[in-house]
Amino acid sequence: MKSLTIRNLSKTYFDVHAGANVTAVRDLSLEVPAGEFVSIVGPSGCGKTTLLNMIAGFIPHTGGEILVGGHPVKGPGPDRGVVFQSFALFPWRTVLDNVAFGPKMRGVGRAEREKIAHEYLALAKLSAAAGRYPNELSGGMQQRVGVVRALANDPDVLLMDEPFASVDAQTRMTLQEELTRIWEQKRPTVIFITHDVPEAVFLGNRVVALSKGRVLEEIAVDLPRPRVWDDLNEDDRFKALSGRVLQLVRSA
Amino acid sequence: MRHRLSSLLWFCAPFAVLLALWAILVPHFDVNPRLFPHLDSVAQAGLEGIKDGTLVRHVGASLLRVTVGTVLALLLAIPLGIAMGVSPTVSSFLTPPFRFFSVLAGIAWIPLASLWFGYGFGAITFVIFNAVFFIVTYNTLLGVSTIPLHVRNAAASLGAGRWAMLTEVLLPGALPNIVTGIRTGLGFAWRGLIAAEMIATNVGLGYMLFVARDFYKTEVIVLGMIVIGVLWLLLDRLLLAPIERATSERWGMVQRV
Repeated sequence: MKSLTIRNLSKTYFDVHAGANVTAVRDLSLEVPAGEFVSIVGPSGCGKTTLLNMIAGFIPHTGGEILVGGHPVKGPGPDRGVVFQSFALFPWRTVLDNVAFGPKMRGVGRAEREKIAHEYLALAKLSAAAGRYPNELSGGMQQRVGVVRALANDPDVLLMDEPFASVDAQTRMTLQEELTRIWEQKRPTVIFITHDVPEAVFLGNRVVALSKGRVLEEIAVDLPRPRVWDDLNEDDRFKALSGRVLQLVRSA
Repeated sequence: MRHRLSSLLWFCAPFAVLLALWAILVPHFDVNPRLFPHLDSVAQAGLEGIKDGTLVRHVGASLLRVTVGTVLALLLAIPLGIAMGVSPTVSSFLTPPFRFFSVLAGIAWIPLASLWFGYGFGAITFVIFNAVFFIVTYNTLLGVSTIPLHVRNAAASLGAGRWAMLTEVLLPGALPNIVTGIRTGLGFAWRGLIAAEMIATNVGLGYMLFVARDFYKTEVIVLGMIVIGVLWLLLDRLLLAPIERATSERWGMVQRV
């Protein structure tokens, strides 16, 4: 696990439809210590997905710097695992081979990488699906695979881009509980992008509200762990925190 | 297994009816064998062709040309299609011409091919090469460009370098389209082969058919037609269709031609 440092980051690009330069992220700074879970919330167009894509190295930034464990980000790399909203599993690989993909790229031998994959699949209660193909699974199960595929590669930072936005509400709550449980076991550094305020508060040690490409405010979440919805739904501190973040996001 | 057996029976049933009608109607109306042969004379011609080796020689020559032309085309088309598909600019620039040459059936190349390569193996293999090459390149390009950006990004963030991206993502991702391309291309190639062999050679199934006409040997013509159809069905059902089932259907990937 490593820390993530973002200093004066900005992203300007030419928008063909608007016919003008657009600034998606401006002068944004954020410090995430190793092992922290940070939720980033904000309305559509606040720059949260652009921010994540820059940290992942999928798109270049136009100003400032991104450091993972002190090293600048220059492109996509296995030190930053990514979980996508659209799952982005490899349809031509079984669940087991999807999860073993990262270790395979690192040159880990077949027996060893399958052992790693089985271990992570067990962590997400997916052992029974190891031999199936992604399209044979429900959306919720596919995203479990997406999460453990990223984790099995042992990244320094885990980047999650609205990963539970396209599954149904019940499944989403289960996935959120599983994610906190796995996080408590493995303690990776996590950047979790969402527009769902209760989700951000439920998962994070800290919630960062973005607006127009800047950090609006950071709110520490000191709720005890392990967190489960049955406890937190009626919890006054949880409700107060969610209310505050919601107000921030709505004022943004 | 039972299901496959019954579907095989259903597939063969209409042909059995056709053969029965042939066996009954042709003798019944006493059709001139110079216009259309009796069933038993075709069977006879088949047996003789196998015994004296002429049929085997013609089939062998045709299959060799198809195999050489197809293999050469695939060796060039798949890497080229992937290289083209990686870049959106190159792929959108080259899509129209490849589409054009894909629908321009192989037969149209026969006159030029015979000028360039003379009559024989070269010209015919070239016709087959063209029939397969353009369609497979186009389908590979299409297959690569339809792999979602997210999937490529996922592989990159899991540590895939350029080579792994090619072999682990682009190639398998494009495979369903490639297989469809091969299936369509071989269909064109097979038809083109027969036409080309009628014009530009002295051995092969097309040649066998064409020469038999000069001697009014309708039983050889019909035998050739049956062999051509059966070989294609075997190739398509036993080789190409199973590959398609093992990839696109198993993976739940969408088909586009």
